[in-house]
Amino acid sequence: MKRLLYSVAVLMALSAMLHSCKKDETAIAPPVPGNEFLTTVGLKVTNASNAADVQYAYWTDTTLIAHPADSINTPVLNLKASAKYNVEVLFQDRTTTPFGDVTAEIKERENYHLICFTASPSLNLTVVRTDKDTNVPALEVGLTDTFTTGAAGTGELNVQLRHQPNVKNGSCEPGSTDADVTYTVHVTN
Amino acid sequence: MISLRTAVQILLLILFSQYVYGQSCNYSITGKITGKSGLGLPGARISITGNKQVITDRNGGYTINNICAGDYIISCVTDTGLPVSKAVKVAGSIQLDFVLQELSTDLKEVVISSTKEKELSTLNTVGLNNKQLFQSTGKTLGESLKSIPGLNSIQTGPSISKPVIHGLHSNRVLILNNGIRQEGQQWGSEHAPEIDPFTAAHVSVIEGAASIRYGSDALAGVVILEPAPLPTDKKIGGDINLVGASNGRMGAVSGMLDGAVDGFQWRAQGTLKRAGNFKTADYYLKNTGIAEDDYSGTLAYHKTNYGFNAFYSRYHSKMGIFDGSHVGNIQDLYAAFNRPKPITASYFSYKIDRSYQQVTHDLLKLNSYYQFNNQGKMEIIYARQTDLRNEYDIDLPYSDDPAVLAAPQISFKIKTHTLDLLYHQPDKNNFSGTWGMSGITQGNVFRGIRYLVPNFRNYGAGIYGIEKYTKDKWTLEAGLRYDYRWLKVYRRNDNSLFVYNNTSIYQNVTASIGATWKAAEHFSISANTGTAWRAPSVNELYIKGIHLSAASYELGDSTLRSERSFNTSISFKYNTEKLFAQLNIYDNEINNFIYAKPSLQPITLVSGTYPMFTYTQANVRLRGLDAEADYTFLKNFTLISKTSLVRAFNKSIHDYLVFMPADRFDNALKYTWLSKYVSLQYVKVSRQTRVPPNSDYVAPPPGYGLLNSSFGMDLLAGKHILNIDFSVDNLTNVAYRDYLNRFRYYADDLGISFVLRTKLTF
Repeated sequence: MKRLLYSVAVLMALSAMLHSCKKDETAIAPPVPGNEFLTTVGLKVTNASNAADVQYAYWTDTTLIAHPADSINTPVLNLKASAKYNVEVLFQDRTTTPFGDVTAEIKERENYHLICFTASPSLNLTVVRTDKDTNVPALEVGLTDTFTTGAAGTGELNVQLRHQPNVKNGSCEPGSTDADVTYTVHVTN
Repeated sequence: MISLRTAVQILLLILFSQYVYGQSCNYSITGKITGKSGLGLPGARISITGNKQVITDRNGGYTINNICAGDYIISCVTDTGLPVSKAVKVAGSIQLDFVLQELSTDLKEVVISSTKEKELSTLNTVGLNNKQLFQSTGKTLGESLKSIPGLNSIQTGPSISKPVIHGLHSNRVLILNNGIRQEGQQWGSEHAPEIDPFTAAHVSVIEGAASIRYGSDALAGVVILEPAPLPTDKKIGGDINLVGASNGRMGAVSGMLDGAVDGFQWRAQGTLKRAGNFKTADYYLKNTGIAEDDYSGTLAYHKTNYGFNAFYSRYHSKMGIFDGSHVGNIQDLYAAFNRPKPITASYFSYKIDRSYQQVTHDLLKLNSYYQFNNQGKMEIIYARQTDLRNEYDIDLPYSDDPAVLAAPQISFKIKTHTLDLLYHQPDKNNFSGTWGMSGITQGNVFRGIRYLVPNFRNYGAGIYGIEKYTKDKWTLEAGLRYDYRWLKVYRRNDNSLFVYNNTSIYQNVTASIGATWKAAEHFSISANTGTAWRAPSVNELYIKGIHLSAASYELGDSTLRSERSFNTSISFKYNTEKLFAQLNIYDNEINNFIYAKPSLQPITLVSGTYPMFTYTQANVRLRGLDAEADYTFLKNFTLISKTSLVRAFNKSIHDYLVFMPADRFDNALKYTWLSKYVSLQYVKVSRQTRVPPNSDYVAPPPGYGLLNSSFGMDLLAGKHILNIDFSVDNLTNVAYRDYLNRFRYYADDLGISFVLRTKLTF
């Protein structure tokens, strides 16, 4: 009889444990507030000799944005031949309204980041980074740049945000890629 | 390195001091092995300090001749029980009898899943004995199992490895820790088993469809880890393990205390392990450290016909992910592969930076048994497991909020409750058997900045029976099981963020039938055929996201059906004093095998272009053989040869299966004298040439050969046994890459390592 009572007590304890488990899985964690996604890379291009000549081109990750406009992923820049442009690279979070600004976070971690530009051979475009981080010695970042165009032509400009924690040395090679987007650039006379 | 040299000198000193004894070598040890009933046990293996081995005769008697004077440790192992060791001083011929406790019914119940309780004996089962376990202390579980023919490990750098049986792993291999199905996030190839190997005194692997007793899913096999039986008469005892390795400057300490008072038995155990950056032949692997701390405790009470047992264990580990493996996209991966060595800095440090994994696993197990007057026995086992896995990417989240910055990018928490009720019928008229039912419920909560898998709840129930008939030279057995599984997945719509759920139900039957024929005194043949099934796992159904270290984008398919396997194996075993030989041949046909198939269309994200893999099903066939021969060809010299071959073919698309183990040949020469041994091992792994096109980024690496050596001894320290083993792994410091290591894209595998292991048992 004592044994039987024992077994009943054990079984009751077990069933109490089974019942006490909460159904945590039904509450799905909402998107983390305060976290920003990098969805969009933009170029703000200002003609150095005409402050009114400003163009924007944006590349947006269509897997992260609800119902993107069809044109969202074919950014185009129209530049004049033999001209000089001041350029800002913009990083945005378009999952929210208004758009979140990720550029500030990248600026804060400028010692870990480098923006790399590669123009296709048919494109006469030279890119010079104009900002420096606070590494010793200071290294370029690329959030602000100067584009110098040559003769007329059309090609592609690839922009990469390289993430280089503790390995930044001025070259694009170390680290991994956080953003890798391509713009079509027309240089016309 | 000075400490290492000193250690070697001490070892050599001890070695030569023992030669004082070595004059007379014509003593003998005789004795009898009996069970608690007093009957002699035929077929038990008696080994003297690990090598010289005899088998008991029909009456349980044995004799070992030509023994030199000295200190020895004599061990006795039976096919059905736990090993027993005794330390003796030989200065003349002596008699040494063993009474094996595992036949006592009261102890048998405490360790429910002990090897003698093996319900299906016609499947090939291979165990690691005490000595082999000791020689692998400090290694990960996956690594230590590689010495078993047919087993490999799939690795993600040096700190993460998981076992592969006959080419299959993760959800298709069950791991049974102290009688409980290990439930974590076992689907991921970079999710290592959350188990402290030091808690196990016996590790065995059942190769084949061993799903009847332990639930569905075990299409490839079961890895069983069992603790040592609790002491019955000792007031207090225990052991302490110390391991140091030069590579990674790894150190591990593990201690255990146990005892018995007035029918109560207790045990407390703990492990600490640290390792820093591991080194290949030429360079350090930055951020590959490990910090692990585990503890466990057992309390048991038992009387002659009933008993209770409570066990709690906690595993906690932080594992660094190699810095050079971070790739943003496929271009990064190719760039990393084309470099002769990683461009990350090569230096030693214990520091673990981002990215890393942090895993905590708690297990509470309560079990109780009651033995009826007819010798039948009823058991109830309840277990609760909580597994928390946090993964921190190399990038901090884009945020200014400190709480977001400190949070992991991916976090899984899974809680599992299992309840098992089983009845062992009494052995009667040559029949024995086990009947039971089991229930499981699991809740998984995913949190994270990146989406990977959804939340879910599942309920499962199973009912089974296994019957065995043993007469004369024959053992026949058959088992049948039915399982029902209910799965509800909670998700958010990608666009509207609206929460919805999907429910799936899976149910199926598992069956197995087998026979063993003891054709002669030293020769037996076993054959088994079985069918098992596995419901698709949640990642296969719903994964959507980037595999950071593999630069791939994976997409699940919620319409997948269950897998069904038909597994047939036949094994031959020959066992004499001089020669142990075993051959196991298997054929595993799996219909609706789920795998990630490369899509033709890549996917473009803001971080670049990724190859896309979608989960799909096909009919596949895995065939292979495992062979082992241990031949004592000269006095004290033993040659140990092991071969594992796997051939895996996708019958639906007429092509090979990707990521299958390459042919492996493991040969070792061992010399044993007094209580010491020295061995030299050569492991040859061929290049994997049977791979499907367009399913991997780069061709499989070339084959390689590794030389390992070890030297060890068993000493008497007062009344206690001290085991010492000094090994050198990758003796020639070969630079190589292994096909099953996912980090072969980025770096070489490990270079030379000097390892000193000690264990004091008191």
